[in-house]
Amino acid sequence: MALQVYTASLLKEGLVAYLCLDSEGISWTTDLNKATAAEDSDIDTLREAAERSDRDNIVVGIYPVLVEKTASGFEPVENREKIRANGPTIILPQSSKASTNLHAA
Amino acid sequence: MYQYSQADHQLLQERVSQFRDQVQRRLSGDLSEDEFKQQRLRNGLYLQLHAYMLRVAVPYGLLSSNQMRTLAHIARKYDRGYGHFSTRQNIQYNWPKLEDVPQILEDLAEVEMHAIQTSGNCIRNTTSDPLAGVARDEIEDPRPYCELIRQWSTFHPEFNFLPRKFKIAVSGATHDRAAVAVHDIGVRLVKNVKGELGLEIYVGGGLGRTPMIGKLIRKFLPPHDMLTYLEAILRVYNRLGRRDNLYKARIKILVHETGEEKFRELVEEEWEQIKENGLRLSDTDINNIKSHFKDPSYETLSDFDSDFDAQLLADPEFAQWADKNIELHKQDGYRVVYLSLKSRNQPSGDVTADQMDAIADLADKYSLGAIRTTHRQNLVLSDVKLTDLHSLWLDLKALDLATPNYNHLTDLISCPGMDYCSLATARSIPIAQALTKRFDSYDYINDLGDISLNISGCINACGHHHVANIGILGVNKKGIEVYQLTLGGSAREDASIGKIIGPAFTADEIVDAVSQVLDVYLENREDPDETFLTTYRRIGQDPFKEKLYG
Amino acid sequence: MGKYIKDRKPQDDSWTPYTGLEEIDNLPAGDIYIPFEEWQANKEQLLKRNHRLGVILENTDDVNEISADLERLDLIVLQFPKMADGRAFSQARLLRERLGYTGEIRATGDVLQDQVFYMQRCGFNAFEMRDDQDLATTLAAFDEMTVTYQPAADEELPIWRR
Repeated sequence: MALQVYTASLLKEGLVAYLCLDSEGISWTTDLNKATAAEDSDIDTLREAAERSDRDNIVVGIYPVLVEKTASGFEPVENREKIRANGPTIILPQSSKASTNLHAA
Repeated sequence: MYQYSQADHQLLQERVSQFRDQVQRRLSGDLSEDEFKQQRLRNGLYLQLHAYMLRVAVPYGLLSSNQMRTLAHIARKYDRGYGHFSTRQNIQYNWPKLEDVPQILEDLAEVEMHAIQTSGNCIRNTTSDPLAGVARDEIEDPRPYCELIRQWSTFHPEFNFLPRKFKIAVSGATHDRAAVAVHDIGVRLVKNVKGELGLEIYVGGGLGRTPMIGKLIRKFLPPHDMLTYLEAILRVYNRLGRRDNLYKARIKILVHETGEEKFRELVEEEWEQIKENGLRLSDTDINNIKSHFKDPSYETLSDFDSDFDAQLLADPEFAQWADKNIELHKQDGYRVVYLSLKSRNQPSGDVTADQMDAIADLADKYSLGAIRTTHRQNLVLSDVKLTDLHSLWLDLKALDLATPNYNHLTDLISCPGMDYCSLATARSIPIAQALTKRFDSYDYINDLGDISLNISGCINACGHHHVANIGILGVNKKGIEVYQLTLGGSAREDASIGKIIGPAFTADEIVDAVSQVLDVYLENREDPDETFLTTYRRIGQDPFKEKLYG
Repeated sequence: MGKYIKDRKPQDDSWTPYTGLEEIDNLPAGDIYIPFEEWQANKEQLLKRNHRLGVILENTDDVNEISADLERLDLIVLQFPKMADGRAFSQARLLRERLGYTGEIRATGDVLQDQVFYMQRCGFNAFEMRDDQDLATTLAAFDEMTVTYQPAADEELPIWRR
């Protein structure tokens, strides 16, 4: 059984986001560990919720991502998705007067 | 520099309002993502791996110090404190919010900048020689011709939905520093034996998955006919270019499939019909545009300075930098200075907001307020007095912008790769950084001499690996990033496409592989003046294959 | 059908498309437009009608092939099968600027608010807007940009000559 989460980009901010589905409804988080994961058989529920957010212009470009449950939380299987979840693998250039526009994650 | 007219200003204002409205319609749901994408791309806005990316045009690579300060302000206020200068002389921001983009465009418009046609299937920002107007080997200043192309191509109503993107480069010097051979259209300004100016028009060059060198389809076009001729080429392309397959839609495929001779006939036939129309340039038209690019008031100076010579002797580090990063200027007593954006500390082409502000100040202090961007992801201060070089160097060193490596091994082009790009199949920057770290010896890269090393993170080849002496292409093989080596490419006047040498290497192996390639060169060169490319062309692939795989 | 703009005004569309499937001697009354191939095949018969005639071209058609017939045609319909397919822009310019056609040139297909500015510059004067497009904002879009640099069907001279 493969564990999956739904991902997309937030329309307004462009940031990578993951779908959370709970009793309070649909929301999107930039923290993969807060995402709702589902086994193959239950993925349709997530997909439908993600499609609704896409239609409601909350997110862009929805698709499922394979993840594994590790001691520190979810970890994507694919390299590309690891980079999406964790940010660039390099040290970003630093200006002294840094911006406040920081990644929420 | 070109001075904006009232109409130019108004156009930017109208464009900002239009884009603000398009963003609003997208956020409210009136525009679907598919349709908005067509609009945002034509304004340089991509949705990348982590965030939106905004590409701001730097027309033919010219920036004023004030424009640079605005770029710094944007990096700080709307992004994460840095930007990336690209191989098409533009600057990219990696983290803007969609909601902020209209305001960014408004801030840019205040300093006569914009993001118009920096993406999408339209005519892109025209690129040129970063030494335009100051080069000793210049035949004719390309900037007026670039500006005419900018005006002609901006919001061209017929050519805004082409089969694919369209890139034009113009060079006016003996040495090609604009890579015209690998553009959809390359223009070279030349003179005939009578001293008359003409244009060589190359069509169908390009990189990507089918790299090709442009074909010379017109040998000596009078400059007055430049725009009508470009219009004819674009019309043939818009009508006949393939739209059934994304990967066969560039003009290079049309030229290739139609045949060079037939393609030339089609263009000439179309051109015959329009060559006398309003786009034909008069002497007055050309001279009016030229008047925007007059020489600044240079001082009359000697081309020798005893203090400079003494500084070279006294300070070996300064001498290294002066040897690598300075070029002669057409005006005695002045020099062209390359600011290396290839230090060991930051990705190729990246500049922080602090550095941008400091560069703007240095440009004002030492270089008549002018800055240029280069297609090899560096910056240029074009008009520095010989007597100022030492103080400028001290300032650049403090800013980490004085790595003495211009046109040497660690001056490597790297695309953003999978650390940023949604198309990439492998990372580029970590490999570039590993190479920079391994070859971090001045003596070694000095001994290697003139060489180019470029890396792309996917087949789209934004890192220009095909035209590097040593090219690296990162691909995904069963979930693992692996790197192919190509050898023998050149982006200059002797342009050629590199050849793949053999099976790919892993990320752990690729740096050693490059090192072995360099060993083969050093063992085989006839003398220290024989460049890597000359040696490679003389001895061929076999000795390299033998060393790498033997 | 429905959202039709001509000469910058919403109008009722008097034209009926003839698909080529109908019997040639049993055509609807009134103004009709005809696929280019049908026009070539049945030109003489069609010209006997007492109504106006138009032709709809594929965007791969060479407009030169219709040059001899332009005087008899009151409408030429050009197609945008997808908004990103810009071949009809060239067709329109050639019809207006090279062949001197003065009748209606109509855009059909993915005709969207954000393109009408470019279309009008190329010589289109009529637009079958896609159903989801808003007429009021589309009419405003014609004037969103007022600065033009290059010659086109609406302007013979580049900005530096005006």
